[in-house]
Amino acid sequence: MIGQYLKRGLLAFSAAAALFMAAHGESKAQDKKFKIYLSLSYSGNDWQTEAANIVKALAATPPYDKLVDLREVISGTDVQAQISAYESMIADKADGVISFPVSPTALNRTIRKGCKAGVLFFMYDATVTEPCAYNVSYITSGFGENTAQALVNMLGGKGIIFENRGVPGNSVDKRHVLGAEAIFKKYPNIHIVATYYGMWSAQTSQQETAKALIAHPEVTGIWSEYGEEGVLKAVLASKRSELFPITGEDSNAFRLALIDPALKARGFTGASSGSPPATAGYAFKIMMEVLTKKRNLAIHNIEYPLPWVPADKVKVCPGDEFENGCNVFPKDKVTDSFTTEVFEPVLLPELTMKTALTGLPKPGATIQPLPAALHPAPLEPGINCGHCEPPADLYKLTKVQPAVH
Amino acid sequence: MTKTSPSEHATAAPVPEASAKATAARSGFRIGPEGWTTLALFGLTVFMILASRLISSGFGSWQQAQAILLLSSFTIVLGFGQGLVILIGGLDLSVGVVMTLGGILAYRWIGTSLVALFWAIPCILLVTGCVGAINGLGATLLRLPPFIMTLATSLIIYGVFLGFTGGQPRGVASPALTSAYTSTFAGLPVILWLLLIFIILATLVQSHSSFGRRLYAVGTSPMAAYIAGLPVRLLIVAAYAISGATSGLAGILLVGYATGATLTMGQSYLLPSVAAVVVGGASILGGRGTYLATVGGALLLTTLSTIIEALGLAEGWRTVIYGLVIMLALLALRENMGIGWALTPKFRNTASRSRPGGAGHKPNKTGGNG
Repeated sequence: MIGQYLKRGLLAFSAAAALFMAAHGESKAQDKKFKIYLSLSYSGNDWQTEAANIVKALAATPPYDKLVDLREVISGTDVQAQISAYESMIADKADGVISFPVSPTALNRTIRKGCKAGVLFFMYDATVTEPCAYNVSYITSGFGENTAQALVNMLGGKGIIFENRGVPGNSVDKRHVLGAEAIFKKYPNIHIVATYYGMWSAQTSQQETAKALIAHPEVTGIWSEYGEEGVLKAVLASKRSELFPITGEDSNAFRLALIDPALKARGFTGASSGSPPATAGYAFKIMMEVLTKKRNLAIHNIEYPLPWVPADKVKVCPGDEFENGCNVFPKDKVTDSFTTEVFEPVLLPELTMKTALTGLPKPGATIQPLPAALHPAPLEPGINCGHCEPPADLYKLTKVQPAVH
Repeated sequence: MTKTSPSEHATAAPVPEASAKATAARSGFRIGPEGWTTLALFGLTVFMILASRLISSGFGSWQQAQAILLLSSFTIVLGFGQGLVILIGGLDLSVGVVMTLGGILAYRWIGTSLVALFWAIPCILLVTGCVGAINGLGATLLRLPPFIMTLATSLIIYGVFLGFTGGQPRGVASPALTSAYTSTFAGLPVILWLLLIFIILATLVQSHSSFGRRLYAVGTSPMAAYIAGLPVRLLIVAAYAISGATSGLAGILLVGYATGATLTMGQSYLLPSVAAVVVGGASILGGRGTYLATVGGALLLTTLSTIIEALGLAEGWRTVIYGLVIMLALLALRENMGIGWALTPKFRNTASRSRPGGAGHKPNKTGGNG
């Protein structure tokens, strides 16, 4: 008796289970989402957060909100941690990985393994030399040489300068400095009296600059990578009456200072360029177009246009959106170290300042298609290819021309 | 570097070290070996500042000295807490993260309000002090090795504020804190006066209070201190709590200096805080060291890095020189074989009196407690 009930019960249960599984499988097939991992190297600065927020906001913008299952993995600045993060993503059968890579070479083996398993790897800002990965970056667009030339122009071809570098041994820092020094060495009257590492941190840059200013109060210009806002603070804290030109990256405080009438009157000027967090959004959109079969991507190295804002082009945004070429926000809206390059009117009309701050989509926005032709990046050994010949005009100027000889 | 040869040191009698230490701890008027170490550190710092005029025209000025004092302020404040923890035979690896915590809270709570300054700073010191106390409880009640306990705390705290801030600390740098670094009082930046008050108070606590003497006792031998009836666990927890609070204070100051906060702002101060204490002649095993010597160590290290930067060498060489000079300073200032010891009048007396072939004494005689 009991046995019969048990049998019947079991039958009913298995039938129900079969039904459930069929129904579930069907629904899964209907709204199959692309499983995409966002792999961050977390260094705790505003830049990384903004880049991640931009990707999150785009993934939540229609129609991608129905197409994308985005998972964020923060693996720190340690290469081993990122390798194991990639390994788990491959094991989890990800459709795509969008990532800020910690090293240009150390991740190659894992990426190759992922490519074979059918995972798309898109790198933003920093790059890898593995040919099967896609690099979307401004690195090759000439930050170092253009800012160096702008500084030389502002100094009239002669001066005593500091170099505030990034992280020692990092390929991006090396590329920037090689570009800058290719320009500086053309001018025998430009003397680099101090080179120090600001570690791409405003505080470290401030302290290192303060030290260099004690040793060389006669300085007449500073060339800086990310951290320029700290460089400026150190210069202002040194209580000198006359200021001098500083070139740096895209922090909000630095851009606001460039149009500060009091500082301008004391001789401060400069140019703002460098790494845009918007690159992450661009990389994500390209990846989605490839995944949704809207684009057949033949090139693996795509260049993001170099942001270029000399002092006379700084313009405050009245609201949170891109209007009339505005490129900086009022002091009370964002932090000093907020990286302003979160807009790209052609490539990324879906973004506002809020998307970069919160990771939430712009209300009412839908994803707009990218232009048909993407700008290929030149090959640079150690940056985006292992053993390749760089172009002869590697450090050619694109944003500024020599004004002095 | 020393006035006497090593063989003479080896023959020095062990007695003066202990008695000199006791006098250094009990009265500030007689200068023991630790006092001489401190003087040697300050002397070396002043000498380096003056001599650096040869390297660059901007050096050797009062301007430079002032800038070095400003840059050292964070390590000087951190060094007090770290020094107390090292004194009791521990090590606080969480100072960097707790400093960041202090900075983030100051950035968020104080803002532009002057009133907030009065409630927020005590609150921040309380929070960071509690973090320190947790370190102390882990080290005493759970018997975890201090470096593991403090490392674990720092990982947890980092995780908490990473989640709490979403990666981006929000807030405003307090204008009052900033003006401590920019405005002057009687010709000196306000922060230097505050720092002076801090140093005096800290010295009184460490070297001229019964609390300080008890910490020395715990550091020299916890077992002996326990048998003598001292509340050893409570003292250890108190040392860690003070270290937490001074880390928080250093974070508040850093917000004033850098007018901003990031999640990694305190990271680069961990090693200098340990180095300043050790260069100041404290034994890493506990029981020995004074706060003034730590201040001297902090000033020496900052001066050194400033001067090395001006040499115009490649980064690699700069780091090599920095490491070598620290090593030399440690050798030269070692209590039983260096400047501090050689300058002690007592030592000179005993050295001349000592019999040849007398029993040598082991280094760190009073320091080892394990």
